[in-house]
Amino acid sequence: MTEGGSKSIIISILYHDKLIKQQSTVVRLYVKRKAVSRLSSPFNKWMQQIPEGVQDSLPEERYNARIAEDKLRRKFHLSGYDEVDTPLFEYLDIFEGKTASIEQEQMYKFFEPGSRIMVLRPDITMPIARIAATKMKNRPLPLRLSYFGNVYRYEGQRQNGQREFAQAGIELLGSRKPEADAEIISLAVESLLELGLTEFQIDIGQVEFFKGLVEEAGLNEVQSENLRHLTDQKNKLALEMQLKELSIPAETKNNLLKIPMMFGGEEVLKSAMVLAETERCMKALENLDVIYRMLKNFGLSRYIAIDLGMVHSLNYYTGMIFRGMIRDMGYPVCGGGRYDSLVSEFGKDLPATGFALDMRRILMALERQKGLAPLPVADILFVYDSSVNKECYRKIQSLRSEGLRVEIFLPAENGMTAEAYAREKGIPRLLQFSSGRFQERMV
Amino acid sequence: MITIALAKGRLAEKTLDLLEQLGISCSEIRTGSRKLIFTTDDGTIRIIMVKPSDVPAYVEYGTADIGIAGKDTLMEEGRSLYEMLDLKFGGCRLVVAGFPDKKHSGITQSHIRVATKYPNITRSYFSGKGETVEIIKLNGSVELGPLTGLSDVIVDIVESGRTLAENGLEVLEEICPVSARLVVNQVSLKTRNDEIKRIIDGLRELLEGKES
Repeated sequence: MTEGGSKSIIISILYHDKLIKQQSTVVRLYVKRKAVSRLSSPFNKWMQQIPEGVQDSLPEERYNARIAEDKLRRKFHLSGYDEVDTPLFEYLDIFEGKTASIEQEQMYKFFEPGSRIMVLRPDITMPIARIAATKMKNRPLPLRLSYFGNVYRYEGQRQNGQREFAQAGIELLGSRKPEADAEIISLAVESLLELGLTEFQIDIGQVEFFKGLVEEAGLNEVQSENLRHLTDQKNKLALEMQLKELSIPAETKNNLLKIPMMFGGEEVLKSAMVLAETERCMKALENLDVIYRMLKNFGLSRYIAIDLGMVHSLNYYTGMIFRGMIRDMGYPVCGGGRYDSLVSEFGKDLPATGFALDMRRILMALERQKGLAPLPVADILFVYDSSVNKECYRKIQSLRSEGLRVEIFLPAENGMTAEAYAREKGIPRLLQFSSGRFQERMV
Repeated sequence: MITIALAKGRLAEKTLDLLEQLGISCSEIRTGSRKLIFTTDDGTIRIIMVKPSDVPAYVEYGTADIGIAGKDTLMEEGRSLYEMLDLKFGGCRLVVAGFPDKKHSGITQSHIRVATKYPNITRSYFSGKGETVEIIKLNGSVELGPLTGLSDVIVDIVESGRTLAENGLEVLEEICPVSARLVVNQVSLKTRNDEIKRIIDGLRELLEGKES
């Protein structure tokens, strides 16, 4: 920008600004400074940035994400699951029922007069429960549904500060049977294998076991929530302190204190049987045992471990729960469980079980296990001699219909030749149309 | 190989003493080297030296499988970790302190002003009591808050109470006792259970032996 140019713009701004009619020096200076700063930095810096916690997917990542989604989509489809989609935003009410596991402060809310409070969906299972209880209530049971989509949650500094999560998952609604739980867990294992992951472990637990022990102890809601949190965090010290203050039988205290460390192989179930005095605890262990034996029969026991101290989201889960973990990744990559009381909140009593995968973590795990594919280049770079003609267009169409990736060369302003462009991008073949003939060259 | 994150300073020294008693020694650290990453003499464990308040982050992300940090740091950071062992050393108390006679002096100020290095702990402690406070985050010499009139009280850790006493301040409320804790990444506990369990069980026996 030349000196004269910037001056003339300043003058025209001054001329158009009503305030300038007062000819105040202060105003003149202010307007002048503003005009200059706008000229010296052509961009608003916010136009080049995105908010914290969300991300762009560049071609290399998106290509691999698509491969992963395709593999899962096929797996779910072949297993009898039908894909559904739900709105990106819905009424807050959907996510705030009695069994909700997501706090209101974690949701992105918006308001307008004449409407109830709406939120960006923090989860897709709850909208699916809504669909199952309403629009699909007359379909034959069980319902097998799958989904792919983003969910939005504010987690503070947890979860790497991420606020947008890409999820893929399945829900099996209408069956109380352990076979349904075994189906869900086995599909989780198969999904991870299909994605190309090998070193992973699925921890399975049963929230009814913990609930049974707490019920036996006769604790109130605040006390049991306290114990639940400490148990889930495997914080034995604090758990011990907490239990000391409660007036419950010493044996119950002892049992509750053991739960956090009740993880490992099959033997954990046997040692837990000794502690299970009430019917509720016993039933929980029997249920987990049945599920475990089915998975063992399927030949999947090498991927499965038991953790009875896994007791997150107790309002939501009502039976088996599980989490999938990958060595060298600090976070679980998938999780799920049985939630028999959720759907009834939407008007139809329907037992249900399901799981979801965190697609971004899956990609990170694949990258660490060197399982990501390079972005493929075009097979052929097509070069016109002068302008587009019918013959060329037909040729390109026929090559593409054979499954070849054909890119048309468009000379750029930097004057790069077709050969140079193909070399830079790694395109192996060049197809040129000149003097009425097609000529092929290797690059 | 598992990775242990140690909080640089006194906690690290004491932890290394304990590990040595378990037969895990790292002579390179003891030479006073300025390196940040070390390997134990037997080559089985990697030790990284980090700023105390960073220990929880390293462990939550799984960069370190095990971490040793003060309870105050763990509470302030509030990350998802398995807190598995109280190492008993580094003992002190988290307290609210100030001048005994004037906890709240402002007329124009409708709530107490609290100076602290621990804004999260302070917020949850006072909101747990149903009190609204104004938090002023400081990075050191927090005692100056009430002395200079910057704040009404402070929330800080107190070991002997000497600094408080010499400045005419007193402990007004005790929030909780603090000591060094061993924390474990939630996935590592499962996927590297053998190695981690060996260390935790060893340390636990050692500590129980000391107590009795």
